Amino acid sequence: MTVRKPVSAGTGVIVGRRVTLLGAASLAATSTLAMPHIARAAEPIKIGLLLAKTGQIAAQTEYLANGTYLALEERGNKIMGQPAELVWLDEPSPQAATQNMQKLVQENKVCAILGGALSSNALAEEATAAQLKIPFIVDNAAATEITGKNCNRYTFRLNTPVLVQSRMLAPYALNYGKKWYHITASYAFGQDILRSSRELLKQAGGTEVGADEVPLNTPDFSSFILKIRAAKPDVVVGGLSAGDLSTFLKQWNELGMKGKIPFVEIAIGDTDIWAVGPEAATGTFTKMWYYNNPANPPAEKAFAAAYLKKHGRPAADKAWMGWITARSMFESIEAAKSTDPMAIIEALEAWKFQDGPASYAYRKFDHQMLVRNLAVSVKDKITDQWDYFDVKAVLPEKAEDLEKAFGTQEEIGCKMT
Amino acid sequence: MLDILLSQVVSGLVLGGLYVLIAIGLSIIFGLLGIVNFAHGSFFTLGAYFALTLFQTFGWPAVIFAPIAVGAVGMVVERVLIRRLYDKEPLLSLITTFALALMIEASVRLIWGGVGQPFSPPKFLAGFQIWGPVLITNYRVAVLATTAAVLIGLWAFLTYTPFGRILRAGSRDPEMVGLLGINLPKVLTWVFGLGCAISGIAGVLAAPLWTVTPAMATNAIMPAFVVVAIGGLGSFPGAVIAGLLVGVVIALTIQFFPEASGAVMYLFMALMLLLRPRGLLGERWERFE
Repeated sequence: MTVRKPVSAGTGVIVGRRVTLLGAASLAATSTLAMPHIARAAEPIKIGLLLAKTGQIAAQTEYLANGTYLALEERGNKIMGQPAELVWLDEPSPQAATQNMQKLVQENKVCAILGGALSSNALAEEATAAQLKIPFIVDNAAATEITGKNCNRYTFRLNTPVLVQSRMLAPYALNYGKKWYHITASYAFGQDILRSSRELLKQAGGTEVGADEVPLNTPDFSSFILKIRAAKPDVVVGGLSAGDLSTFLKQWNELGMKGKIPFVEIAIGDTDIWAVGPEAATGTFTKMWYYNNPANPPAEKAFAAAYLKKHGRPAADKAWMGWITARSMFESIEAAKSTDPMAIIEALEAWKFQDGPASYAYRKFDHQMLVRNLAVSVKDKITDQWDYFDVKAVLPEKAEDLEKAFGTQEEIGCKMT
Repeated sequence: MLDILLSQVVSGLVLGGLYVLIAIGLSIIFGLLGIVNFAHGSFFTLGAYFALTLFQTFGWPAVIFAPIAVGAVGMVVERVLIRRLYDKEPLLSLITTFALALMIEASVRLIWGGVGQPFSPPKFLAGFQIWGPVLITNYRVAVLATTAAVLIGLWAFLTYTPFGRILRAGSRDPEMVGLLGINLPKVLTWVFGLGCAISGIAGVLAAPLWTVTPAMATNAIMPAFVVVAIGGLGSFPGAVIAGLLVGVVIALTIQFFPEASGAVMYLFMALMLLLRPRGLLGERWERFE
């Protein structure tokens, strides 16, 4: 017969098994209750990143992601003194993007999400953000509705809406004349540009001599360019995105149109023009930020230098967009001292970036970040493989006109519930 | 109006020519290997990137080696991966080649970066020609001429050379070819390499026109499948006629109904499959029945 002996707890005192188990259970329970900060410290704060990993837009999202990661590294990968990490999932289509958004919230347990590279995706994502009650900042999509009639309490947006950018660009297009030809992408972003630009042209008393809506990923624009050539407009107003814009400008030059009919478009990305090449690049554009703008404030110059040091090439505008969006989120979580969704939202509504003349904040009634844009033109002679633009103006020219340029609540149509 | 229509038709022929080149490689691989190669567009991308690197390193003449390099990559892929898929479930080859496409895109992204690469037509082909009502750039004339030369060369190769005869015989009755003492696996490696090299030629020709990005295969692979389906799986002349037709139909749709220019080739394919399920020149192939 085997006799079970009492277990030594390592102190020389002999204790029974039940006592040992009870002690271990009590220790486990009290350590969790008495030192919650230690338990939390072991679990990093997670922020979701919802950006395309493949497809034509991936050229832009690579920079958006790089800027986001750099913003976290600047903080030593910590928020509220705790380790913080980004969980990056793909957004290949609106449906898959919303599924990944659910996965981020339900499986990865993120406390907030950054992303939304394409307007079509972002429109679906913002509705899901409201359903899931998760703070979400759209960093790239520009469709007016995102912070317009589709706005909700959980969604914030960095990029300047299409309508506002179109208003900023219109005087430059009108400088060339009042006969416009529209060539726009046939999805939310392009359709928004077409609608806005037509309205502005009508107000200016101009004429639309042609308009083409182009399917995404069109490889050959020669047939469209032949139509534009035949229509003889004063200016072509574009609404193409990413790789499609690059392809169009390459073929525009190939067909001998560069320098003959001016081209203007809102929201050019540096990566779009880098893909065109110096020989074919042409046009006047709006954009949010340019790495070689002498007027950049010190914090942004430091960001541009850090990016160059880390990646060996200048920060594209998308890198800045990822960086400033992420900064606003990280600083707001820090200010909220909590990962509670409503606390983060209130902190985002109160967040402000102030550095010299640069001042950015989210407007409370539509959660749209108010940022002055740049009007840029392609240089006559490009000598640096990255430096394509001359900054022509900051828009609106007076900082006090910023709020007005973004429209009133009635004009925007945002009613948060 | 007639002048713009003629210009659109010529423009469509250039686009169609590129589609023909991509589709021919796909058709040859399917016809001889029985593999539906979802990664075919990735070899098109590799052609563009190899051309870019060769141009940047050695200048324009070196660009002709790009399709050869693509063919070599294709042969390695056949030996390592594709060979294991012969006589297996078709679904397995679809999944494997789809994974291969993703892997090649990721590799391109890793090596050359995700941002599009600038690449313009050569200076000696700058400018354009105006022939009556038709406007066409010198580079596009060169694309048309190269496409025609490649197609004629390929046809002559398949028709008149002993190797071409083995290929055609092997596509119909591989067992009999094997019984005649011909090393068929070795032949199939060359066939896959040839199909990839032709796709590589299309990539080289398209690089100065399209945006050179890791995702550029997206713009190539779907039209290639459509062209093959319309022309008839495995049919060389069918792919040529269908490719040119698809290019012209797209160009004319842009003139009259631009919003539909992306969808029109699928509509065309649906109509063709309803009227003639084997495609324009598709034949009955015993081994695929």
